Amino acid sequence: MAAGLNTGIDEAPVFETTLTMPYTLTTGRAAGTYLAELANQRIVGSRSSSSGKVVVPPSDYGDDGEPPELVVVPATGTVTAWTRTSAGTLAMIRLDGADTDLVHRIVGDHFGLANGCRVAAVWASDAETTNALAGFELTDAPVEEAEVVPLETDTEPIAELPYQLDLDYQHSYGLYYGRMFDELATQRRIVGTKCPSCQSVLIPARGNCDVCFVPTAQVVDVADTGTLLGFSVINMEFVGQKRKPPYIYAEINLDGSATRLIHNVGGFDIDRTEELLSIGMKVRAVWKEGTSARGTLADIDYFEPIGDQS
Amino acid sequence: MRNVAIVGAGQTHHARRRTDVTQAGLAREAAMRALEDADLTIDDIDSIVVCTGPVLFAAVNQPEKWLADALGARLKPVVRVTSGGGTGLAGALSGLNQVAGGAAERVLVVAYDKLSEGALQYSISTLYDPFWGREFAVGIMGFSAAYWRARMEPLGHTEEAAAMVSVKNRRNAIRNPYAHFKKEVTVEDVLESRPLCAPIKLLDVPPISDGACAVVLASEGAAKSSPNPAWIRGMAYYCEAENATSRSMLQSEPLTLAAQKAYKQASITNPRRQADVVEVQEPYTCFELSYYEGLGLCREGGAAELLASGATEMDGEIPVNPSGGCMGANPIGAAALIRLAEVAQQVRERCGDYQIPGAKVGIAQAGGGWANLRGVAVVSSNRS
Repeated sequence: MAAGLNTGIDEAPVFETTLTMPYTLTTGRAAGTYLAELANQRIVGSRSSSSGKVVVPPSDYGDDGEPPELVVVPATGTVTAWTRTSAGTLAMIRLDGADTDLVHRIVGDHFGLANGCRVAAVWASDAETTNALAGFELTDAPVEEAEVVPLETDTEPIAELPYQLDLDYQHSYGLYYGRMFDELATQRRIVGTKCPSCQSVLIPARGNCDVCFVPTAQVVDVADTGTLLGFSVINMEFVGQKRKPPYIYAEINLDGSATRLIHNVGGFDIDRTEELLSIGMKVRAVWKEGTSARGTLADIDYFEPIGDQS
Repeated sequence: MRNVAIVGAGQTHHARRRTDVTQAGLAREAAMRALEDADLTIDDIDSIVVCTGPVLFAAVNQPEKWLADALGARLKPVVRVTSGGGTGLAGALSGLNQVAGGAAERVLVVAYDKLSEGALQYSISTLYDPFWGREFAVGIMGFSAAYWRARMEPLGHTEEAAAMVSVKNRRNAIRNPYAHFKKEVTVEDVLESRPLCAPIKLLDVPPISDGACAVVLASEGAAKSSPNPAWIRGMAYYCEAENATSRSMLQSEPLTLAAQKAYKQASITNPRRQADVVEVQEPYTCFELSYYEGLGLCREGGAAELLASGATEMDGEIPVNPSGGCMGANPIGAAALIRLAEVAQQVRERCGDYQIPGAKVGIAQAGGGWANLRGVAVVSSNRS
């Protein structure tokens, strides 16, 4: 969503956008087993066959590069470092018998938490499998001989994990894009910049000519009509798609410019595409109705064919 | 500059989804095969180059950090090269320069992508400028289809010709033990398959794969300890400007430049006669036709004729993609390195059921971005 026009000097408008990307992650044997065994209230590590070192959470590859043995480590340990965050207290915990620290939450009353404090796992029986380890709480139970034992289990590793990235961005328009999109929003006009060397008019407007690599000299108007260079009827659906298929993707050279514009062609029955569209034909912008201009290319609804009229 | 050889290569068994391994495990599988193929261990490797496509493909930033343990990269120089679909060749070029410049004697180049994990077309659409074009982008398939349509009439790259690429490559893939998609199709099957981005149809499109590839590059001295090296005789990778004024829809300028440079380094003046085997990275069938022309295997507009003559078949005069190309498997970040590895293994005579008899000189082509990054390599069983 565009931030709209803003006349503040110290606060230029930005283009705010969010990418929401779904994933299905592959955990691998070690992490998949660690996650699955949490439901059995067991913490799994891996033991290198050559050095005997125990790593928690487990790794698929030992310090010798070979697949290590999976082991169960005690659910008790010692705090080696900690911090308070807005999400609660986090600590690095050296589980008994382990050679690395596990980062986890400290839960319950933990006034007086200090490095060296003893902690024990707190299990949340009602949580989802992968969240069964609620955290660690302070304990005064006596330290017993650490026993790291080979994992024996019938539980299948969790092979796949759903995941999502929600990435928020604030893109700066900069001088040229700012001007260009302002013109789109307020004047329904497409502007480009002209190279003083090759005289090409470049859209999108930019500060340098790609070919001559000299600064562009002036902002110039570009027509909202152009030539169809290539097109494709899009039937494919995909995550994140902004339009519902079928629709027509097009590469267009606007009159007076030397570059290509990516947009859609429409305004007719899509089943007649082969009959109505041809490479090299003229097209004209159809601007969105009303006053909903956002200052983006989507202020143009689509381009429509205009035959041989121009 | 020192001579550099490919002394080992390895690939994963590519699949739509490899649930048995993480990204790290996938990369490791290829790396271990390459080391074994080179009769080496990780202790013999001085430096490692990791290559992947965009990180949005699989949600792990700086994945080379995660891969270090699995690859045995601890306390070695590790860099990651990312350049879209061409990343494997860009990474190989980086490794080549390390060896040629004397910074390393042996470099392990590992390229992978685990495409089953994320939203592929959406991720690819983020290649586009967020202000200008992204909301209209259809991965790279939309523009590829538009470009193909622009080429159809002037160059004769018909739907039938493209279908023949699919038929040839899918048939070849059946003999490749690492290929993911192994099913013969007919020209009619391709022409009647579902349109995705017309004229690109389902069978014009390679499978989406999880997979990795690795090669070991060695200096002339270090190459002595491995069996029959493939010498890298030329390699180049070029970029074209985004939204450039003069961008041709008919021919890829960076491909022409990369071919000219690699051919000059390798003293190739007539690739069709001098090369015995070619591997091209065809994200869609229409691109293979275009690459025949860009690589100089035929005149401009001669691709369909070259293909129809049978010259690029496995038993033809200039076989293209005996491995099956991307139609056999398409783990994007690995695909370019696979092309290089395939021609190296051909001139090393290690391609088993799809070996081109007596192959001495091979050409690999690769590309990334939205067709604005293009690379070419020439390998030979002879050092010079």
